[in-house]
Amino acid sequence: MALTKINIGPVHPSTHGVLRLVATLDGDTVKEIEPHIGFLHRGVEKLVETRMYMQSPSYMEKIDYVAPLSYDELYVATVEAALGIPVKERAQYVRVVQLELQRIASHLLWLGTAINDIGQLFSVFMWCFKDRDIVLKLLEEATGGRMFYVNMRLGGLNRDLMPGFADRTYKVLDYLKNRVGEYEEYIESNPIFMERMKKLGVMSREEAINMGVTGPVLRGSGVDFDIRSAYPYYVYEKLHFRSQFETAGDCFARYKVRINEIKESIRLVGEALKKMPEGDALGMPIKLIGPAPKEKEVTVKRELPRGEGMMYMVTDGQRPYRLSIRAPSFINTATLQHLPNGHRLQDLFPILASIDTVMADVDR
Amino acid sequence: MKIKSEELISSVEQKRKEGYTYLVKITAVDYTDRLEAIYFLRNLDNGKEEEIRVDLPAKNPKLASIMGIFMAADWYERELSEMFDIEILGRKAKRLLLEKWDGKEGPLRKSFVWGKPYKSIEAPVKFVAKWEEGAK
Repeated sequence: MALTKINIGPVHPSTHGVLRLVATLDGDTVKEIEPHIGFLHRGVEKLVETRMYMQSPSYMEKIDYVAPLSYDELYVATVEAALGIPVKERAQYVRVVQLELQRIASHLLWLGTAINDIGQLFSVFMWCFKDRDIVLKLLEEATGGRMFYVNMRLGGLNRDLMPGFADRTYKVLDYLKNRVGEYEEYIESNPIFMERMKKLGVMSREEAINMGVTGPVLRGSGVDFDIRSAYPYYVYEKLHFRSQFETAGDCFARYKVRINEIKESIRLVGEALKKMPEGDALGMPIKLIGPAPKEKEVTVKRELPRGEGMMYMVTDGQRPYRLSIRAPSFINTATLQHLPNGHRLQDLFPILASIDTVMADVDR
Repeated sequence: MKIKSEELISSVEQKRKEGYTYLVKITAVDYTDRLEAIYFLRNLDNGKEEEIRVDLPAKNPKLASIMGIFMAADWYERELSEMFDIEILGRKAKRLLLEKWDGKEGPLRKSFVWGKPYKSIEAPVKFVAKWEEGAK
């Protein structure tokens, strides 16, 4: 039978961004997928070179608009490492709380959209959005912004937590704990979902390592590797963090890793709030002329919601000479060239949903 | 670890045999008189990391492809060749990955002028409004 080529995207409801996929099909079996990316390429790495260090954080947040705080923190941590500025202890706890809340919000958004892609279970999508909004409310209270926060400053934060924040957060965490359990029960007792997710897009441990995938995709393939436990930063060591992983390597394993990560993050936020010391958490106010850099080049890595984010910065006086960003979505999207091969066309979008890409993060 | 560009494949293979099975990132820095390509490798079992650095000339830089060793190198190499104008040997010329234009100069090179007008943006016919014509 002759091969057919079809074009999907760049604007398609299931790609959640601008991703074009050119699929070569034999009947309805996928032979080859060629992802076309770059529609959102803004040249972030070049733009950063023209700016002072602390002019960039607000722009860094737009790299991944689903988890902006994580990128904000990654960039500020890179600058802190380059300038040799230590982070205050309370600020470390507050950062961990906010990063984990951001991870919960990001995974909830993923859950909603992924379920919608898989079985048109639209009610889960609405529930997840509602719950995500409750988490965003907390972040809004803590930082002043609902979507984009720019809360990190050198050595600390822009705003400390309000009095009573901990109590309000405990209530939300209790509520979320129940909700996540409900989602799990609802989703996993749904035969459509289970049939579409299991044994789909299987990636073995060796393949996953060789393809260089990160985050929940890597951990779904049986590699217990999380930056938070492998290279602990801030106070993760004191918080008894346990990384979550599954061994099956299919779409269901990746879903399960993310669900378990939400639960783990809920626990981490609660524990960090209980152990948080009193004191000063405010960082340096933004001044364009800051202290001179102490390191010529630094590499900083963090576990973002989508996987490992790494920034490599070469400093040059008051500006970065070069900033290289390792975006987790970029390398995860590259697996689309291999994963759907041999599956039917309708299985393409569950696979795409399971690797959780944000196109702005892919293109930078 | 600093190596010559001819030794790239052998030293990457050597490192992989030593247990550095995970390629984190390939990137480069333009120091105007030379380029430096950096390969970040990692051992997932014990968390050890290794950087392989390759010095390249600023004119006609060429690098061997390590896609035979790490599949992860695929898009990193394409990004590198596009952004720094580095020729990756042993790979077929493919369409551009990130850019949507000719991509003849590496945009992340320091010689690339930021904000240079691009030819195709200029309107082919000069637009004259009707009231301007009347004014003449």
